[in-house]
Amino acid sequence: MSHYLLGRRELLRKLGVSAAALPFVSNLPSIAGAASASQRKQRLVVMFSPNGTIPDEFWPDEEGSDFSLKRILAPLQPYKDRLLTLHGICNKVRGDGDSHMRGMSCLLTGTHLFPGNIQGGSHTPAGWASGISIDQELKNFLQSNPQTQTRFGELLFGVNVGQRADPWTRLSYAGPNKPVAPIEDPYLMFEKMYGRIEDQETLKSVLDDVQEDLRRVRQLVSSEDRRLLDEHESFVREMEKELQSGQQQAYTVPIPELEAGVANENDNAPKLARMQMDLLVNGLANDMNRVAVLQYTKSVGGARMNWLGIDEGHHALSHEPDDNKDAKEKLVKINTWFCEQLVYLAKRLEETPEPGGQGSLLDNTTIVWTNELGKGNSHTLNNIPFVLLGGGLNFKMGRSLKYNAQNHNRLLMSIAAGMGHELKTFGDPNLCGDGLLTDLG
Amino acid sequence: MSFVSRRRIVRSSLDWLLPCCVLFLVDVSIADDEQSRIAHGAKLYAAQCASCHGKLGEGVASKYEEPLYGDLSLADLANVIHKTMPDEEPQACVDDDAEAVARFMIDTFYTAEARAKNQPPRIALSRLTIEQFNNTVTDLVSNVDRVALPKGERGLKGQYFNDRRTKSDKRVIERVDPKIDYEFGEGSPDEKIKPEEFSMIWTGSVIAEETGVYEFTVITGNGIKLYVNDDRRMLIDGWVSSGGQSRELTESLFLLGGRSYRIKLEFFKHRDKTASVQLLWKPPRRPREVIPARHLRADYSQELYVSTTVLPPDDASFGFPRGTAVSKSWDEATTYAALDAAAYVADRIDRLAGTKGEAKDRREKAMKYCEAFATRAFAHPLSDAERDRLIVASFKDVEVEEGVKRSVLLTLKSPFFLYPHLSADAPDGYDVASRISFSLWDSLPDRRLIANAKSGQLLKPDTVRREVQACLDDTRTRTKLRGFFRQWLALDRAEEMSKDTELYPHFSPELVSDLRLSLDLFLEDVFWGDTPDYRRLLLSDTMYVNHRIADFYQFDDFKAETDADKGDHDFVSISLKGQPRAGVITHPLVLAALAYHKETSPIHRGVFVTRNLLGRVLNPPPIATVFEDAKFDPHLTMREKVSELTKSSQCQGCHHIINPLGFSLENFDAVGQFRLREKERKIEAVADYKSVSGKVIRLEGARDLALHAAESEIAQKGFIRQLFEHLIKQPPAAYGATTLNTLHDRFVKNNFNVRELMVDIVTVASIQP
Repeated sequence: MSHYLLGRRELLRKLGVSAAALPFVSNLPSIAGAASASQRKQRLVVMFSPNGTIPDEFWPDEEGSDFSLKRILAPLQPYKDRLLTLHGICNKVRGDGDSHMRGMSCLLTGTHLFPGNIQGGSHTPAGWASGISIDQELKNFLQSNPQTQTRFGELLFGVNVGQRADPWTRLSYAGPNKPVAPIEDPYLMFEKMYGRIEDQETLKSVLDDVQEDLRRVRQLVSSEDRRLLDEHESFVREMEKELQSGQQQAYTVPIPELEAGVANENDNAPKLARMQMDLLVNGLANDMNRVAVLQYTKSVGGARMNWLGIDEGHHALSHEPDDNKDAKEKLVKINTWFCEQLVYLAKRLEETPEPGGQGSLLDNTTIVWTNELGKGNSHTLNNIPFVLLGGGLNFKMGRSLKYNAQNHNRLLMSIAAGMGHELKTFGDPNLCGDGLLTDLG
Repeated sequence: MSFVSRRRIVRSSLDWLLPCCVLFLVDVSIADDEQSRIAHGAKLYAAQCASCHGKLGEGVASKYEEPLYGDLSLADLANVIHKTMPDEEPQACVDDDAEAVARFMIDTFYTAEARAKNQPPRIALSRLTIEQFNNTVTDLVSNVDRVALPKGERGLKGQYFNDRRTKSDKRVIERVDPKIDYEFGEGSPDEKIKPEEFSMIWTGSVIAEETGVYEFTVITGNGIKLYVNDDRRMLIDGWVSSGGQSRELTESLFLLGGRSYRIKLEFFKHRDKTASVQLLWKPPRRPREVIPARHLRADYSQELYVSTTVLPPDDASFGFPRGTAVSKSWDEATTYAALDAAAYVADRIDRLAGTKGEAKDRREKAMKYCEAFATRAFAHPLSDAERDRLIVASFKDVEVEEGVKRSVLLTLKSPFFLYPHLSADAPDGYDVASRISFSLWDSLPDRRLIANAKSGQLLKPDTVRREVQACLDDTRTRTKLRGFFRQWLALDRAEEMSKDTELYPHFSPELVSDLRLSLDLFLEDVFWGDTPDYRRLLLSDTMYVNHRIADFYQFDDFKAETDADKGDHDFVSISLKGQPRAGVITHPLVLAALAYHKETSPIHRGVFVTRNLLGRVLNPPPIATVFEDAKFDPHLTMREKVSELTKSSQCQGCHHIINPLGFSLENFDAVGQFRLREKERKIEAVADYKSVSGKVIRLEGARDLALHAAESEIAQKGFIRQLFEHLIKQPPAAYGATTLNTLHDRFVKNNFNVRELMVDIVTVASIQP
């Protein structure tokens, strides 16, 4: 990684003055409209929340298309016909690392962790995952084809993830021993996506003064030296012009306006979540990426949801036994709050028309909401919450499915297949069983 | 070849000039005609143009004030005159007459070249050079006053814990480790520490000598975190091990040279079978190495802001880099650097301004901080009008952070910051303070200089001299001097050289790096040691040597003087008395850099000696000739080949000077080893050199050459001029035709004391009215 070399192109990008030369404005209807309807843009968003769920308030009792939503999933009622709940999916990866670590770092990789030096609350210590994760696999797949290539391929958003890098904090892997960190600061993400628009504004506000200064200085120097200052002034004028024309650059969807000065801390999670989701939807609409991850805190994350009237940390609560009604009630609230975030994301996608295509972004995007554990206090890796929402994968939606303990590797392969990427196996080949899950299409 | 590249520089800036030169050279009758045309043009100009444009195009007040300077071609300029001039009567000067006037203008004042030829150099308006920009931004934003490298013990402070967590009650060892290079195997660092799990923290500073990109590498099979210059952001996160397998973790960082940076390395082992850790770096243009103790200190340094924007190279067409040209890429790069600095300050405004998020006086304190920032940046108290524009207007109607950004950005984009020597009238104390600090430090005046400026002390030459002397002590002066050595000894070449690996299998990048250190130690010893005598630079028979250098160059004395156990970095100064070496001229790095892949290059060496050591002027070669070794009879010596190649009278104009100087160094091969034979033939290193006065001097090898360079007045003046140009970024003649002679007189009087010379140069340039 190089945080130091900033050539001219980088400078212009940061200033946003030559955005026209960059590929990310290609989502305009005139360009994309030429593509046939069969080549619709398919998108995948993985949303993660930690510490298991409360199964009896989460999973629908019924199977099939006639089912009702329980408390945690109740906010999804308006989207029930675009929903798929998948009960019975199990993370069977064994080996080094405690359940939280494997739950997290094997969730999207489907393969074991390397032995290592990171000690969990139990079990042997472990290192990073030994293989690529499905989001990165799909990103590589889409980026390898000019038809589906985008500026970033994938963007990874975090909310209150924290500054630690270990197997509890990383879902996404570019390969063995190559964890990819989500960006948890929306301002940094904004800068990554749009260059420094604010800097442009600041710069524009001072350029007149700079020119005035140069003119004043002219009086102080000899006539020979004036040429140098005149030249200097002409560059300042040029920059001003470029900034003005740079502003007129077209994005399919306008750049979101972020609230200023929201600190990256626990209490701001609701605001940070909105900001990150707004950016996420914007990135998809402007076709900067087709794959995204949205990670709420981390495995063993201890969010204190004061805004729900809950003072205890999420992880501590998740360890409480089933008969602690108060804790259980709080966990239902916490998980419902995560569900509401999913609803907000779905709503924003639904409101955004598919640029140059049919329907809305939600029609072409599937959000996979998942978790590293099935249940918090048992630390089980069975019955991992998998809720799919939206029309990105050609799955038959509006159903509650119940599998008989199927390895989650098969689901990862099915998601890839839904995106047009056929894999013989994914992650640990021994865990791939009969391949794709049946019943999804 | 150095002269070819120099020529290219001239060409690129003055592309149009070449056809004219050819014209002059090729045909004498045309040249004569040219002279008469110019004379004709001069008459016409005086009669029809001078009343509005001035005698030499300088402009006439209330007539036409803009000077007639430009770079139109002869034909274009003639056409403009033909069509438009004189203003009230354009038909009065047309066709051949217009062409003659254009010829006269181009020959006399219109082009930069003509002005340089016909007018003495002047102090040209200069913006900050690259070094100056980077240093001032760091010193401004980090609030650095004077720079001194940490004086603590060499190495890093190591704390060892008998646990995988660094809990203070488990700390069993605290000591200074000269370098981090440990292989513990299945064991532990100490018997007090159990091998299953343990941890360490190393803290201190790392000293970067050169500006550029540094690659830091940690090689370990265990968990590590590395922080450099930033306690909040890890440079390398290797906390998670992978089955105990050793891995190489590398990240890059842009650092400003001549500064020390805080560093912290955390390490832990848990369950991994073995333990090991190495801390390495790869400084710019150097091979990777375990960071040696001479670059480590056990004390912490202040966190520094370093501008990472790469600025375009400064114009060096005058022979030394200076800030007399601007370009679009320069404007963009400095703008970007200013934006970065503004964002950095805005991010930390509460800490910098000593306030808090909710404080009532937050805005007021932030504005005060910005005012202090601008005052330092301009090295001048702000006028009320400046305060209004830079501070009050910037904060109007915007959030505090945005106000800070605008104010800092406006300050750093202001010509009063970018052109540090702007001044309407006679210089005041503040101007003198700036001149001193930029000459010695490439940075802003410190508090002491500003205090002296304020009290009027800096208007007294004696005080100026005293203050200049006091400024020498700052580390930034040494850094600036390192830049001079690089320029004077053409060391950029040394970093790019490669030698034939079959002929010189042990001439490794590591050896080159050691040679550079050997040369630096020698130069710093002369400049900063007890005998700062210019003649030692050329005549010294000592050299700094370590094992690798001693082995390669067979300096047998080294082994006698040192015990064999010392590491590669332990240099000692050995005497080479009785050997044919002399100061910098025969330092292997200089000789090797001025040579080809396999063979010597008397031309490179000769040009270098002529220009850099003897201070003589060489014009670009009239014809470009490439030395192609394969075209010569392989039995010929290099001396014979060069003599053959340059025998024409066209070449001999300069090569009668260059060649003998280069031949006198023929006893040193392409890597600077002493030799008596070349291809079984005895080397002929005796050469007759004709000095500026016309006296023929017989040089019987390198020492004679060094003696001449040490004693020649022209050579001494050449040295003074080069040092002047490097420090002041202006030619000495711009400070008066006698400046160089005055400096030389004092140099002689001071027994060629180079430190006194620096003080004299900076004092002269600082008190210039």
